[in-house]
Amino acid sequence: MFAEAPNIVAEEKKNGSGRWVGASLPRKEEDRLLRGRGKFVDDIKLREMTYLRFVRSPYAHARIVSVDTSAAEALPGVVCTITGKEVAAQTQPFIEIAPDHAQKIRDFPMAVEKARYQGEPVAAVVAESPSLADDAAELVQVEYEPLEPVVDSEQALLDKSILHEEAGTNRIWTGIWEFGDVEKAFQEAAYVVNIDRMHFHRFSSTPLETNVVIGQWDPKEDRIHYWCNNSFPAFAIQFLAAHLAVHIDRIRVQTSDIGGSFGIKITSYPQMSVCALASKKAGGRPVKWVETRSEHMISSAHGNERTFRDTRVALDKNGEITAIASRHIDDCGAYPRYEPLGCVIYSQVFCGTYRFKNARIEFTQTVSNKCPVGPNRGYSRMQHLWFLERIVDICAHEIGIAPDEMRLRNYIRTEEFPYTTPNGCVYDSGNYPKMLEVAKGLIGWDDWKKKQADARKQGRMIGIGIGTTLDSGTNNFGQSQIVNPNAPFSGNSQGANCKLDIYGEVVVAVGSCPQGQGHETVSAQVVADVLNIHPDMITVRTGFDTERNVHTGMSGTYASQFVVSGLSAVHGAAQKLKAEMKRLAASVLETKEDDLEFGVGQQGPEIKAKSTGKSINYWGLANIVNVNSAVLTPELQDVTLNCRYIWRANFKVPDKAKKYGNLTLTYSSQLHIAVIEVDRDTFVPKILDYVAVDDCGVVINPRIVEGQVYGAAAHGIGAALMETCAYDAVGNMLTSTFSDYTPITAVNIPNIRYGHISTPSPFTYSGAKGMGEGGAAPIHTISAALQDALFAQGIFINNSFNNADSIFRSLKYREGGQLAEQVRLEKR
Amino acid sequence: MYPRSFHYHRAGSLKEAVSMLGQLGEGAKFLAGGQSLIPLLKLRFANPEHLVDLNFISGTSFIKEDSGALHFGAMTRHAEIEHSALARMIPVLHDCAAGIADVQVRNRGTIGGSLAEADPSGDWANALITLDTTVHCLGPNGTRAIHLEDFIKDAYTTALAHDELVTEVEVKIPPQGSGGAYLAFKRSAPVYPSASAAVQLTMAGDVCRDAAIALGCVGLTAIRATEAETALRGKSLNDKTIATAAETARAAADPQSDMRGSAEYKRQLVVALVKRAIQIAVRRARGEQIEGAHLYA
Ligand SMILES: Cc1cc2nc3c(=O)[nH]c(=O)nc-3n(C[C@H](O)[C@H](O)[C@H](O)COP(=O)(O)OP(=O)(O)OC[C@H]3O[C@@H](n4cnc5c(N)ncnc54)[C@H](O)[C@@H]3O)c2cc1C
Repeated sequence: MFAEAPNIVAEEKKNGSGRWVGASLPRKEEDRLLRGRGKFVDDIKLREMTYLRFVRSPYAHARIVSVDTSAAEALPGVVCTITGKEVAAQTQPFIEIAPDHAQKIRDFPMAVEKARYQGEPVAAVVAESPSLADDAAELVQVEYEPLEPVVDSEQALLDKSILHEEAGTNRIWTGIWEFGDVEKAFQEAAYVVNIDRMHFHRFSSTPLETNVVIGQWDPKEDRIHYWCNNSFPAFAIQFLAAHLAVHIDRIRVQTSDIGGSFGIKITSYPQMSVCALASKKAGGRPVKWVETRSEHMISSAHGNERTFRDTRVALDKNGEITAIASRHIDDCGAYPRYEPLGCVIYSQVFCGTYRFKNARIEFTQTVSNKCPVGPNRGYSRMQHLWFLERIVDICAHEIGIAPDEMRLRNYIRTEEFPYTTPNGCVYDSGNYPKMLEVAKGLIGWDDWKKKQADARKQGRMIGIGIGTTLDSGTNNFGQSQIVNPNAPFSGNSQGANCKLDIYGEVVVAVGSCPQGQGHETVSAQVVADVLNIHPDMITVRTGFDTERNVHTGMSGTYASQFVVSGLSAVHGAAQKLKAEMKRLAASVLETKEDDLEFGVGQQGPEIKAKSTGKSINYWGLANIVNVNSAVLTPELQDVTLNCRYIWRANFKVPDKAKKYGNLTLTYSSQLHIAVIEVDRDTFVPKILDYVAVDDCGVVINPRIVEGQVYGAAAHGIGAALMETCAYDAVGNMLTSTFSDYTPITAVNIPNIRYGHISTPSPFTYSGAKGMGEGGAAPIHTISAALQDALFAQGIFINNSFNNADSIFRSLKYREGGQLAEQVRLEKR
Repeated sequence: MYPRSFHYHRAGSLKEAVSMLGQLGEGAKFLAGGQSLIPLLKLRFANPEHLVDLNFISGTSFIKEDSGALHFGAMTRHAEIEHSALARMIPVLHDCAAGIADVQVRNRGTIGGSLAEADPSGDWANALITLDTTVHCLGPNGTRAIHLEDFIKDAYTTALAHDELVTEVEVKIPPQGSGGAYLAFKRSAPVYPSASAAVQLTMAGDVCRDAAIALGCVGLTAIRATEAETALRGKSLNDKTIATAAETARAAADPQSDMRGSAEYKRQLVVALVKRAIQIAVRRARGEQIEGAHLYA
């Protein structure tokens, strides 16, 4: 047995202000998780449990001629099988968010007539044990007729081979964002920089725990019960209820501890559907599906891949960007699912950290025969921010301005906040020049510049790169109406409940399903300050549960918002509870409310009358309301000490035609600097030094914020240098294992030095801003540093993924004259 | 995924293991550390009917010095070699053991299993080929000693009969004035290298008396870079002679393009690795104690 850890959360852990908010409190959940006492879905064992295994298409694009499950069904221990056809016969296709022709897409959780990506489920078997399910899956005979695969979005636009015949085209959505006077800006420009093509690659955040679902559709109750690790269950149940044609209150979703999601687990509702249908066929026995790592790699969700064509940038003689025009083509994989929301979500950061006013972006999304995408950490904004950062570095180089100076000339000025962007978003706060100054100080900018100059004389390739990025959080769901005017979503909300239980325990419940973000801790910090008690005196129930009734239709954990939406709800509920406690205590203690003092006394948390010294503890208060209610006076009959609060963001529906309006409440920013050397022999890009500076306004728990910064940095460095979801020309996925995909590990992560500034948000009660996604700063930063190292060799970094191999080949092709001119400068 | 069902047998001695495998026939396999076999079973690429477990046989895991050689029991784990002071007598062994995958794999995987698997990217065969290495085997007809060059026949193919075991690996301790190094490039810790180079040099002052150079992961088996060896032999070693020799390795390699790297990049890697390994080997031949760590992405 391990000795219990001493309670290290001492009073002095509070920050200087005497408040818990702002203190680096160790996480409440760590004790449980680090001792292996977490409860994950696969830890749940139910009576009569059965196990599901999918049979998946080996082809990227193929007609399904026949599916024969008879041999599988004959295997002893097999409970049942289910095919795509059976699913389609019992369900409605999933809701399509896209309008017009894309509404006709028929998306079922398993392939029905056609398989559209390698790894798409075609059938499933359910057996008494996981290994029997694997045995049975091998016995399912599927005959395919291969069709021409489409693995590139620009090719998809040619519509030579069409994925969804009902839609008639591979193009899902196109929209034009045009603001200011772009033509005029180009006419008046001193310089115009043309960049032919840039590409943001496909990768995933590879959560440690894969998708897991237990589904039970009990015919007696006609009710579906899910235990799962979906990270946006409120969204999943809306998709499932319409698809399965059941009332939403007949679907119960429970989540427990989740081993990472990063948005990848938002789109597990197709598998949730199959588990429920299989359970129904199995007579109501629970069906468990545990995704293998390879299944996760080929068929859970990948991040969006994007191509930027025909980019033109207008600049004045000082290097200030005056206009940008470009065509963006986003590849959403075989089914749009959460898409085409990414087609508008990018515009939350339309101008990045820069102040240009004129822009024209034509944004198109296509399907392709690859794994469907999901809202991967940094979703849709990181692609765009990378694009802008590439523009800034390339333009700076073309017109001969240093990259730090170029940024200073183009950054939104500090005094301009709150800043309204060309498309009507309102950036709450920020100070980008200050972040640059802090980051340069930390890295020792001038020193490195000298070292770099010396090293260059010796023929070494060293680059110093800056990446500025935004993490926009708490989105306005009204932006969905920009992609589909009929979408019934807008605003944002979150629920929380705060109560005194029968014996006076303080219990907080939230509608989020954290995956390591520390929601139990920060919620307790907030409530501890409201009631002036210790965070350890508060129990926080996280994990989504439809029957706990604290959720709204937007509950879950995604899109950098808990600190705003979640904690605002927790704070609101705690305030409500406090108000009731005050009324009750004033009556019992026979005094006025403003005579009351909240604190901790001999008998635990209590309320005291300052004038008389009399007090009542929480047990006393709870007792009256719960089990001693005859003593309640008539004026106090409405007191429940069980307070639900729904927080709503103050958003308006954007102007759909103009694509104008405020799309997000808060804008955290990050600025990273990297120094990278490309080895002359191995071409390995080695990070020599790395600095990450963040600004997320008022910090609730510095330790948690720092952890998020490191985690996001590791993800970004992995994505920039190691991780890519690669497909061959016929749509075979080449990175279906960790041996091929190589997610970043400790040996690859450089020492990261952390810095912080704080510009409080004027739009949130606490001044805090969401920051969980991190904006993929390392991808921009590493591209910038490599660019700086390789400009001298005539190389333009036009891809977000670069490794030793690709750098070696670029240099070689460049030497051999095989690289086409990528960038053209026009001087006027 | 789960493996197909199989019968599990636990051998009490090496002899028993051999006879068990003979009796159980073609559908049976030995199980050592399981770090190659178990993943294959889980992916259902291999589906043996019987596994004969070698893990409970005593006296199969050891490191001994005897009559000018180091002897390793077949079941000696990579981690045991990594942490062995004795094994450091031959620096290539330490370089190799310490760089295999991650801690979990090194704690389970064995030197005997690695040689028997003959994975073209496995480190042991590629590292040991530059040393005087003998593989001791036990079969139904008794023991035999096979020189490593003759033991590895092809990718995933050895001289072992189906029911023959590796019992011991014997590596001659190189003479005074000899130094070696084994270096690999790996994208991350728990993956096989993209390319590797093993070098063993015998030096007399600055002059190279003898050289053995092998390239790993860039062919079906380790490739001896004979031109590079010739380019070093009898030469006084300096940056230029080393670079010239290393450059010849580019043509000797015969790599495939895959997720570990394009063929042309792997050729480049081989040149870089050979160069670095020679530099380390020269210093070690002089008696310097230096760590030779793999390169990571
Ligand atoms: C994630 C991961 C990464 C890895 N990376 C590397 C790496 O970078 N470099 C590297 O070299 N290796 C790597 N490996 C493989 C590892 O080194 C294995 O340990 C090794 O290849 C096989 O040894 P084993 O003892 O595990 O053998 P097993 O897997 O038990 O057996 C392998 C084969 O050899 C046979 N066999 C085993 N022992 C004997 C014996 N004594 N006589 C005859 N036949 C026998 C078995 O029947 C089987 O066919 C990696 C493995 C994993 C899982």
